Amino acid sequence: MKGPDLSWYLAVSAFLFAIGTLGVMLRRSPLIVLLSLEIMLNGANLALITFSRHHGQLDGQIFALSVMAVAASEVVVGLGLIVAVHRRKLELDVDKLSTLRG
Amino acid sequence: MIAAAWVCLLAPLGAAVAITLGGTRLSRRGAGYLATVSVATSFVASAVAFFSILGDPPAQRTHLSTAWTWLSAGNLNVGLSVLVDPLSIFMMLVVSGVGALIVGYSIGYMDGEEEERRYFAYMALFVFSMLLLVQSGNLLLLLVGWGLVGLCSYLLIGFHHERPAAVAAAKKAFIMNAVGDATMALAFFLLIQRTGSLSFDSAFQWAGGPAGSWAVNLVALGLLGGAVAKSAQLPLQTWLPDAMEGPTPVSALIHAATMVTAGVYLLVRTSPIFEAAPHVQELAAGLGAATLLIAGLVALVQVDIKRVIAYSTMSQIGYMFLGAGLGAYASSMFHLMTHAFFKALLFLAAGLVIHVLMGEQDMRKMGGLKRFLPRTYLAFVIGALALTGIPPLSGFFSKDSILASALAAGWYGQVLFAAGIVGAFLTGLYTFRMVFLVFEGEPSAYAREHFHEPNRSEPWRWMGLTVGVLTVGAVVAGWIQFANLWAPLSDFLRPVAEPLVEPSGAQEVLASTLAVGLGVAGALVAWAVYSARTIPVPQARAVRATLEHKFYFDELYDWVFYRPTALLARTLRDFVERPVLLGSIDTLAGGARRIGDQLTELQTGLVRTYALAIAGSVTVLALVFVWVK
Repeated sequence: MKGPDLSWYLAVSAFLFAIGTLGVMLRRSPLIVLLSLEIMLNGANLALITFSRHHGQLDGQIFALSVMAVAASEVVVGLGLIVAVHRRKLELDVDKLSTLRG
Repeated sequence: MIAAAWVCLLAPLGAAVAITLGGTRLSRRGAGYLATVSVATSFVASAVAFFSILGDPPAQRTHLSTAWTWLSAGNLNVGLSVLVDPLSIFMMLVVSGVGALIVGYSIGYMDGEEEERRYFAYMALFVFSMLLLVQSGNLLLLLVGWGLVGLCSYLLIGFHHERPAAVAAAKKAFIMNAVGDATMALAFFLLIQRTGSLSFDSAFQWAGGPAGSWAVNLVALGLLGGAVAKSAQLPLQTWLPDAMEGPTPVSALIHAATMVTAGVYLLVRTSPIFEAAPHVQELAAGLGAATLLIAGLVALVQVDIKRVIAYSTMSQIGYMFLGAGLGAYASSMFHLMTHAFFKALLFLAAGLVIHVLMGEQDMRKMGGLKRFLPRTYLAFVIGALALTGIPPLSGFFSKDSILASALAAGWYGQVLFAAGIVGAFLTGLYTFRMVFLVFEGEPSAYAREHFHEPNRSEPWRWMGLTVGVLTVGAVVAGWIQFANLWAPLSDFLRPVAEPLVEPSGAQEVLASTLAVGLGVAGALVAWAVYSARTIPVPQARAVRATLEHKFYFDELYDWVFYRPTALLARTLRDFVERPVLLGSIDTLAGGARRIGDQLTELQTGLVRTYALAIAGSVTVLALVFVWVK
């Protein structure tokens, strides 16, 4: 395998994932939360592709492709929700959208 | 012949199903005609079977036809099979013949009634059940028919389901019959355990073999329990008079053709088992004698015209039990047949009376109806004479042949004979009391006021026609057998049930003379008391009260069975069910609800809390996995 060592790739992957997680947990704007989620997914994708190259098998890449497909659909739904919330003239703040409290 | 037997069995079932599925697409009268035609088809089919069986030599007249294996469990295989032999053909003829007349009569009687289709579907099903009972080729199928007969009687007695009394009577009949069904089922369990089969042949072989003793006695006792319940004999007789809540043709069907005769049929059909348990057979005869006396006495004070006839049925079935218990099988079956005719006649004629009096059944309000209903009067008197056993009407031949057999059956038989001739006196008395109260004298105010001229339309003609046919039957049905001079019926039934007693000519003459003499005496006393009124009605209050309470059987059962059970149930409800069972369930449910309430606090509605919880949990899980590795 050419290029840097396996652990570098994984470190970047973990870094991306951690940034995403923190974004999801700390930011209040649903748009940014969605972006952070994408970053988490891409972190995971990077790990999948890394291992795929490492083992010389295509399984990981196929997984990554399907993750991208799912992520795309998720963005469609998520952005749709955000637009719907906006149209109802509600504040775009995840802490304020707490009607589902038990 | 086998095909005819299957047609006979399935025609009424087909009609019942067709009426049920047809619903409102079938007119009400159409349902009546369909039911009548189906039962008449059964009669024609059984006549065909009868004539084709006559072509066989007497020893080879038993045919068993199995459609398929109906039940298979372990080594026990029970087929859906019909048995065609002289006894079953005889019963098929009686059931479908008299049944067809009664169902035809219903077309008129039920005309304009609500829910006629349901009525006719039940009637056809009733006839089917009884045919299944008498045609079944093994004991299990017999029990199926037995249970179906009980079910149909329940449905029909409670036909007027808006009347609480009818519903109560239906339940009573069902429960009393269930007692009998249970004892029968127990007998069959014992039989399966002993022989591994429920076919008649293996059961009879086992009973005749040396294996017998107490097991045979128990089986016979179980069968007797079933017979006693179905035929309303002591001590399970209390349902029959209450069953008069059903429409009158239903009473006729129950009494004449389809239900109460089943017990007698069972005694004759399983006679080898009873012969192997002679004490149980004697018990059957004794119960019959006791019932015929008690029913005859109670009938003396009844004021409801149908109840008098109901008690006379109990009494006449008592004669049949007496005969079958002493081994006079053919005489017993003979009486069953003649009784079917004259009892159906009496009920249907009484139905005409009730019909023109707008549903009134109390004899105290009737009187002088001879003037309004001359032909009904004639039919009713013929039925009454046949019931009393006056020659040359049918009851004379059959009842006297039972009594003569009793006379020939040793000292025990002679004791029962004494009961039987006292019963003959009572029969004359209560029968003619009824005739005089209803028909003789001046028309009562009630009758004058409420009598309404029946419109001589088509339904009414059906009623008149069927009563006419039954009148002829009540006259001539006895002529097929006379003592031992002319006995084609006995000879026909001999291969199935060999009689144990053969009365001599002198015994026949003695029995007939006494029975007819006492019957006439009873009728004369009734005339003196209720028509000429030269003797006042005796006023023995205690006796009258006892009779009016039917010897306190209902009260006894109430105290012995109902009250302790109800008390036990109430105690269990108050001290076990409510505090222990209901209490514990309430506690459990309350606890679960409280926990649930508290758990809802966890759902904050804040997305970031959820995300934190998920991330935290995943971290913890990851750490645990890593640490465990």
